[in-house]
Amino acid sequence: MSSPVLALTTGEPAGIGPELLVKLVADTVSLPARLVAVGDPDLLAERARMVGVDIDVRTLDKGRVPESFSPGVLPVWPVTLRAPSRPGCLTVDNAAYVIETLDVAVSTCLHGPADGMVTAPLHKGIIIDAGLSGFTGHTEYLRDACGVEGVVMMLATQDPLHARQVAWQGTRSLRVALATTHLPLRDVADAITGESLENVVHILHTDLQRHFGIESPHILVCGLNPHAGEDGHLGREELEVIIPALDHLRDQGLHVTGPLPADTLFTPRHLARADAVLAMYHDQGLAVLKYAGFGRGANITLGLPIIRTSVDHGTALDLAGTGRAETGSLSEAVSMACLMAGHAFQTHD
Amino acid sequence: MSAIHSHAVPAYSLAITMGDPAGIGPEIICRSLAGLTASERAAILLVGDRDTFARAAQVTDVDLSFCAVERDAEVAGCVAVAQIEMPSGDIPPGEISAAAGEAAFRCIERAVELVQDGRAGVIVTAPLNKAALHAAERYYDGHTGMLASLTGAPSSFMLLASEQLSTIHVSTHVSLRDAIDRVTVERVTATVAAGYDHLRRLGIEAPRIAVAGLNPHCGEGGIFGDEDDRVIAPAVMQLQKRGWEVQGPISADTVFYRASRGEFDLVVAQYHDQGHIPVKLIAFDTTVNVSLGLPIQRTSVDHGTAFDIAWQGRADATNMRAAIDHAWRLVRNHG
Repeated sequence: MSSPVLALTTGEPAGIGPELLVKLVADTVSLPARLVAVGDPDLLAERARMVGVDIDVRTLDKGRVPESFSPGVLPVWPVTLRAPSRPGCLTVDNAAYVIETLDVAVSTCLHGPADGMVTAPLHKGIIIDAGLSGFTGHTEYLRDACGVEGVVMMLATQDPLHARQVAWQGTRSLRVALATTHLPLRDVADAITGESLENVVHILHTDLQRHFGIESPHILVCGLNPHAGEDGHLGREELEVIIPALDHLRDQGLHVTGPLPADTLFTPRHLARADAVLAMYHDQGLAVLKYAGFGRGANITLGLPIIRTSVDHGTALDLAGTGRAETGSLSEAVSMACLMAGHAFQTHD
Repeated sequence: MSAIHSHAVPAYSLAITMGDPAGIGPEIICRSLAGLTASERAAILLVGDRDTFARAAQVTDVDLSFCAVERDAEVAGCVAVAQIEMPSGDIPPGEISAAAGEAAFRCIERAVELVQDGRAGVIVTAPLNKAALHAAERYYDGHTGMLASLTGAPSSFMLLASEQLSTIHVSTHVSLRDAIDRVTVERVTATVAAGYDHLRRLGIEAPRIAVAGLNPHCGEGGIFGDEDDRVIAPAVMQLQKRGWEVQGPISADTVFYRASRGEFDLVVAQYHDQGHIPVKLIAFDTTVNVSLGLPIQRTSVDHGTAFDIAWQGRADATNMRAAIDHAWRLVRNHG
């Protein structure tokens, strides 16, 4: 029986990405997906030795896929390092390598044989230093590579938050999407327009149906201001922008609730009836998710024609090569991609 | 300037205000008192209406009696009430009324007088209703503004305290746009200092304080905003020069997690939602609201009047008990 194929990029070779990949494969006994690394096979083998992981790195032709997931075996679609890479030492020479791993992964997703991709962390600064001055991160790069206009960043946990606490029993896994991502807080209010908000909610709604099998997703929307503006006393964006946009979305039949004060929205009573939360800015949404599900959250890019998940941490250069980095977030990202690809797989199989 | 000016030990450690009498305040006060020892109750002065408290005791089925301190003969074991003059007009339970708003205002006004006269130590407030307050033509944005105005304090700070996480805010009830403008070296420094004083008062010798960043990833070297480097980092450096254990700016998506694991005693949040979301997420029914920077000390519940369940004997006093506990800690550690 075949299972979805996931392409895993190594990310920045000087970071913890390569060792996380080999550790994950060495530690995983079974998986409802076939993993293929996208990166330098020698790099992966060397990092495996360095961190004391016994693993069999097997180079595959780009069109080929493994028959099944085998513990301890890491198939690789090869991309060659441009320069030797030592843990913790960034070099601009390998920026092109990092970009190529993304291009290969995207291409295998768009044209086969992969069903989704999972990315390990890259280092934005070194890619900018290498000459890609407009580079702002994976998400925007993948948006352009796939030729779409709008994408939405969503973080998700598979377990309910605080599942062991009585008050949280009955709550669902938490999915938090962001209306704005990496921009100064000062620019957030201007960046949120009726149009941008409606686009984000549509992408969120569609992809919750498509990748998560939720027929009629219920989306809770945070206010921008404290107490969601308190009828205009604490800011007018809710009255002028957010409420009209949500009314319009409801007219189109979408199940959206809000804007709600963010500090009451993120409590069990409200979350228990939500399929996803839309936060207005980075820290409003991510602080919650990282706080409550640290090391267990997966980052998902919605709005792409492909499935893409990623770890929610950085390259951790100081930990690279030590073997101390934990695979929790990568494992979460892989299992989230399995879940999403499984949906798509079942529907088109 | 020290915020505390009482030298003599006040007659009552705590002054607990009734809040809006149409809400759940009287009920949660009665429930909380019922859980205290007789000697603890003897150190408490309620501020409000004796008859309202007596009715709340009936509704909540607790065995307490109340006497007005300046009027009734003192009866051993009865709970002392500083009786306010109740305004005329109906106070329908669970509804907004001018009389209830006015009564809630008079409780606060009286409690401030009692503390300023040295008769009570720390104020604990039950919830009031802003609409009722406005109906009584008392145009305050809530407790904090009222307390600042009654005591003539130029500014105040809001601290949310829970067992797992405490956070103090550089600004609270202003729009996000205005909140960003309030992030100045002066205001950040003053916020940290207010939090530092408070923790010392709670008996923490060398408070460990983390200052959250304003922008995503603290601006990531200026790519996503420069306030973290330009404003917050210099403020933190100034405070470190005082020998304080202050760190920051630390990205908001990790700082609260680290604090909840015990790394810091307090997180300084740059705006309302940044601090409120994580605290309420982890401790939504035990979060205590503490006003700092005023010449009086005050703790409060962090919920509203809950008109929908008021006077039905159903109100949960968990939060009120936490507010009273926090006030005790302030009293005990300060003699």
